[in-house]
Amino acid sequence: MSKLIMFHGRECPHCKKMMPLVDRMIKEENVEIEKLEVWHNEENADLMRSHRDIIKAKCGGQLRVPTFMNTETQDLFCGEVEYEKLVEWALKK
Amino acid sequence: MKKYWRCHVCNDIHYGVKPPEICPTCLKKNAYVEVASHEAQAIMSLTTTTMDKNDFVAAIEQFAEKSEFQVNPDKEKIAPLFEGMFNSEANYGLKYCPCRMIEKDLENDIKLICPCNFLIHETYQDKDKGECWCGLFIKRSYNE
Repeated sequence: MSKLIMFHGRECPHCKKMMPLVDRMIKEENVEIEKLEVWHNEENADLMRSHRDIIKAKCGGQLRVPTFMNTETQDLFCGEVEYEKLVEWALKK
Repeated sequence: MKKYWRCHVCNDIHYGVKPPEICPTCLKKNAYVEVASHEAQAIMSLTTTTMDKNDFVAAIEQFAEKSEFQVNPDKEKIAPLFEGMFNSEANYGLKYCPCRMIEKDLENDIKLICPCNFLIHETYQDKDKGECWCGLFIKRSYNE
């Protein structure tokens, strides 16, 4: 599994908005990122819940989607951002 | 701790720390008595109601009608939210916010039932363009 994960929900408009930016980044920056849907996939939901403490600490005390998480550095953010910020997060060592 | 209370006149059920002083249905004063949860649930089971998407949208509109917030007029944006909430009700029994994830801990998860208490969230509070996390509700002043 890639060290970068995007937890998203099928019916979440923020996730819908971020998806083309993620796809663009995969193409343009050759970034590997795992897109894991959590509302219709229990395994993915459990994985997200297993990171609950670090996600909640940075996302207003909640498990919000989309959550972009680097599982190695635990650097993460939630919600919509500009393309440049997304790339900056993804390429950060 | 929240408890169940029953109006001894009209059998209204209230769930809360204290009973209402005046029963909102029969308007009698000091009419509530504490009951056990199974008694309250037995009384509530006498009335069954259903709520389809149109009913829910109407309830949400009515909820926002006299408030500082309104339902987001961007219909395209909010359509999947309703779909998500009904999917969540079918799968998990309650209409949870599709933009957050439940923790499988009901005490916590009930905070995610739509409408949630978004007025205290940082995406809404102290922001000119405040909205709830999923964007279903936006500050009225922003849109006017």
